[in-house]
Amino acid sequence: MRISDLKTNFPTPDGIVRAVDTIDLSIRDTETFGLIGETGCGKTVLGLTIMRLLHPAATMEGEIIYKGKNLLEASEAEMRTIRGREIAIILQNPTTSLNPVMRVGEQIAEAIRLHQGLNKKDAAAKAVEMLDAVRIPSPSQRANEYPHEFSGGMKQRVMIAMGLACNPSFIIADEPTKGLDVTIKAQIVELMKEMTERKAMLLITHDLSVARELCDRIALMYAGELVEYAPLKGIFESPLHPYTRGFLGSLPERGLVPIPGMSPSLIDFPDGCRFHPRCEHATEVCRREHPELVEFNAGHFVRCHHARS
Amino acid sequence: MLEVEGLTKQFSSGIMKKRNVSAVDCVSFHIKKGKTLGLVGESGCGKTTIGRLILRLVEPTSGKVVFDGIDLLSLKRSELRKIRPRMQMIFQDPDSSLNPRLKIGTSIAEPLRLHGTVPKDERAQKIMELVETVGLNPEHVNRYPYQLSGGQNQRVVLARILALNPDLIIADEPTSSLDVSVQAQILNLMRDLQKKFNHTYLFISHDLEVVKIMSDQIAVMYLGKLVEVGETTDVYNNAKHPYTQALLSSRRILLKGETPGPADIPTGCRFHPRCPQKQDKCAIEEPEPVEVEKGHYVACHLV
Repeated sequence: MRISDLKTNFPTPDGIVRAVDTIDLSIRDTETFGLIGETGCGKTVLGLTIMRLLHPAATMEGEIIYKGKNLLEASEAEMRTIRGREIAIILQNPTTSLNPVMRVGEQIAEAIRLHQGLNKKDAAAKAVEMLDAVRIPSPSQRANEYPHEFSGGMKQRVMIAMGLACNPSFIIADEPTKGLDVTIKAQIVELMKEMTERKAMLLITHDLSVARELCDRIALMYAGELVEYAPLKGIFESPLHPYTRGFLGSLPERGLVPIPGMSPSLIDFPDGCRFHPRCEHATEVCRREHPELVEFNAGHFVRCHHARS
Repeated sequence: MLEVEGLTKQFSSGIMKKRNVSAVDCVSFHIKKGKTLGLVGESGCGKTTIGRLILRLVEPTSGKVVFDGIDLLSLKRSELRKIRPRMQMIFQDPDSSLNPRLKIGTSIAEPLRLHGTVPKDERAQKIMELVETVGLNPEHVNRYPYQLSGGQNQRVVLARILALNPDLIIADEPTSSLDVSVQAQILNLMRDLQKKFNHTYLFISHDLEVVKIMSDQIAVMYLGKLVEVGETTDVYNNAKHPYTQALLSSRRILLKGETPGPADIPTGCRFHPRCPQKQDKCAIEEPEPVEVEKGHYVACHLV
């Protein structure tokens, strides 16, 4: 998948929300690409833009090329054949993403029938198979239960089963471990590692410890744009952008040094570098000029006027 | 400052057949003045209930809670009310802890007004002082909670608490709804305030990294019981209970299955169905806490 010059805007009474602003990146066939950022930086919107699941008022510019096709130009009918079958999304918050009045097996079977055209019986059998694949004990019995009979970890397994049911080649996982307990999170990370081994995945998260275990490359997103991306090791061992360094430094295991201030709103960005009001290294040029994303080392891109190793 | 002994809470469950469910079962620990005890456990283990039991927001079934020499469980309601300002609680979600229809300044004034600790004509000045202590700007006083971020609202909650000048603060997952960079700001503020005012903290969290940095002592809870208690460095460097070891292994030790509900607690050691090191004895006999080194208690047959 190649994303170039992607912009997603939402008109609101207060002004235009620039949730995704000029994003360029490509994700290889079998790699897991981590997109890290804090609340409201636009990371979820990027995932939904790829799926074309945004509010009709949203405007999109640029290109998302997947298997030679620009998804932004695809018709709704074409998108319907792509969603689920080619590109699937595992949403955050399984409690609200599952239908509370529909049996779990039926919810998975519905996706299979819709995207693969199987009959009711075969789809139901496939749903049980998927529940088994995500290691839900006694899957044929559990398929007849409702979401409220499942624990949070089990519901997340159902979401993974549903996402993978039609064997997509590209997966978008939006905070798949949010709200899970430590020991359950460990189980889900292990399961995701196994289930997505030969697939491309965009993992959207704010949890660096999860990204560290699953990702090949990581990008940091701040105020709608990518500020740094590199192979896993580059981000953890030689971060270049002050935001990346600040983000790592504010983790409890790295000394709990906070970044002063708050993320800007997506309506009204600071001039120049969007991070400059919170940056201790900011100089005159940072206040004036918006930095470009440049390749600093091989494969290590950074958007900073003062990038140094 | 705070001594908890044999604290137990049973809830009755079921409509036709009543039966008792132990949410908290015979929990004991103590915290010295100015120190922090970190209470760690997964959702549903009873850690939030412990916080509520100490403040008597929920009445304990049995046990003893002694706060600064006062036996809290023997107090009458009116006596309890007099002591309550000295014990405060911070909740998980700051946005729902504040009245959405009150301006920030009014919210901060409320505890001052209710407990009458500061004369009326000095209140405005006191509010400004509190606002500054928690790192907010004076203009925030005239805003509403929805106009502030989660981190700023948690600062407002802290200002309200400081207004009462408490000795004990029970913080129940105070940063779990905040982003990491904001979490660091709030945790640092809490540490600074503790140094300045000599607060005693009971810090409840599921995040081991956060607890490690905040606490002097750690208590690990599983299904209503403490499985391991000790000095932070002892527990982190020398964890004895298999559950603590798994939590601290940063996902290298994978536990099978999930925590059972408090309605069907396993026989013997509660952790045995998920324990990677279980023996025959574990399913039959419940282990008692043993002191493995000074102040470090573990409830496990293997130690």
